Amino acid sequence: MTCYHWLASYPKSGNTWLRLSLGSLARGGTPPDFAAVELFAPVAGDRAAVDDMADADTADLTPAEAEAVLPGFFRLEAAWLGGQQLRKVHDAWTLTPAGEPLFPPDVTAGAIYVVRDPRDVAVSLAHHLSTGIDQAIAFMADDGAALARGGHYGSPQLRQRLLTWGGHVRSWLGAPARPLLLRYEDMLADPAAALARAARHLGWEPRPGAVARAVAATRFDTLRAAEERHGFRERAWPDVRFFRRGVAGGWRDTLTAPQAAAIEAAHRDVMAELGYL
Amino acid sequence: MTYALCGLRVASELPLPELLPWVGEDRPADIEVRLGDVPPRLEDPAHAGPLLQAARDGTCLYAIAGVASYLVEGGRRVTVRPWADAGAADVRVFLLGSVFGFLCHQRGLLPLHAGCVEVNGKAVALAGHSGVGKSTLTAAFMRQGFPILADDVTVVDLAAPGGPLVLPSFPRVKLWRDALEGMGIPAGGLDRVRRDLDKFQVPVGAGFRATPLPLGAVYHLRTVSDRRHAGEEALRGAASVAALVEAVYRRMSAFRMGRREAVMAALMRLTAVPGVRLSRVMDMAQLDATAAGIAARHGAGVAG
Repeated sequence: MTCYHWLASYPKSGNTWLRLSLGSLARGGTPPDFAAVELFAPVAGDRAAVDDMADADTADLTPAEAEAVLPGFFRLEAAWLGGQQLRKVHDAWTLTPAGEPLFPPDVTAGAIYVVRDPRDVAVSLAHHLSTGIDQAIAFMADDGAALARGGHYGSPQLRQRLLTWGGHVRSWLGAPARPLLLRYEDMLADPAAALARAARHLGWEPRPGAVARAVAATRFDTLRAAEERHGFRERAWPDVRFFRRGVAGGWRDTLTAPQAAAIEAAHRDVMAELGYL
Repeated sequence: MTYALCGLRVASELPLPELLPWVGEDRPADIEVRLGDVPPRLEDPAHAGPLLQAARDGTCLYAIAGVASYLVEGGRRVTVRPWADAGAADVRVFLLGSVFGFLCHQRGLLPLHAGCVEVNGKAVALAGHSGVGKSTLTAAFMRQGFPILADDVTVVDLAAPGGPLVLPSFPRVKLWRDALEGMGIPAGGLDRVRRDLDKFQVPVGAGFRATPLPLGAVYHLRTVSDRRHAGEEALRGAASVAALVEAVYRRMSAFRMGRREAVMAALMRLTAVPGVRLSRVMDMAQLDATAAGIAARHGAGVAG
């Protein structure tokens, strides 16, 4: 049963904005509810879901063992839920230790891949993780980089292997799902066009006016204001703002020339292919 | 060797140092754990997932690659086939985790994904998903001198006279190294939960409450990322049922074992027990205050 559409991106690339916009569109253009427990398009392979659906104690599994469970988990969840399921994904498109695609093609209906200028990603990532920009740049160039590495108390997510920033892009654009590629910069320049493309890719047929309403309901300043009022549950740290600037090219007034050069050197080919150089 | 677990007599060919020895009457074992062959597959399983195969009669075959396979039958018998070292802690962690959960469901006991502490003569369950901080909160109670009935899996007997009764399970709390350090508990000398995990077993020792207690309340823990969403909320009606459904340990497994109606019937009876949604920001510095707040709510100014 094909069921999943993966909304994939490297972290801090506009994935959440896309999810909120799609969620709004799915509700006819109403504003997102930041006080809600679960956002539209929950994270793929949420630990609680894996424990329950795959009969697993992920608390006692190594990250590699948990990863090996995921393809089977997705098949069980797909059969259980049925219908179209959207999932947020930060993992690169990789194979499990057993050599199986982490995101099984047999339950994949499609994918949307959101990409953002890695120089802007570096600035945003440093802020999000409360780390230095140089550390963020090194993280983006590390083939072994991962989110939620495990080995700590209080981690609601399983390890997500990212590869390098460029490796992440290549892994998804080469995946069998043949994702729709959305550039964050294009989403900013013409959000209605980007959202309409995403909706079409998902096979949705929005009612007249719904795309415009969803765009208005998820303008960056609107989301920022909502976060001011309600907080935002996907903050990495309780007191660090999630929706920060929402601009393209902000790196120009933040990165030093050597920092920008380091990112360009590490990811030159992929950046050029995507029109960032 | 025979051990005590939830008031059951466990006879095991595999040494189980995490459990207390059986000191009750000499009677036939309630649960037997043997070492032996386990088939790679069940014949015609009703469910075949990445870890569990379940038959229509509730028989479970659980396999953790590289560690062990477990055949769980009739709520009485577990056959363990270790892949490598039978004496490794790795083999026991799944035996005393999911496999124990399957045994409970087969026996008609209700396991909750919860730690459990004694406050003012009642059992208070601290339920929640993996990673929500059940064990650290349980350990905070322990440090303040409150007796512990369970860590991670709390077993409720709904058929017991006098209402839902918590049967004490494990006299240990499993904590990651960073949680130990945050609580000022030295990791030196503690056994690891598994060879390759930086997670340790903290013995509860004399702080273990080895006799059953009536269930006084269930706290459903949730992590929030913004302090404005932290707080307590009494759960009633449908919200209470929904929270309890999520709190059942190995819930989907039980459904797959043909126990769906039994589990739901048990949960309906549990709704008589007060339920509280406890939303908190993950913050080690708040642990003691959270534990003390729960204790005070149940009328305990001091431990016990």
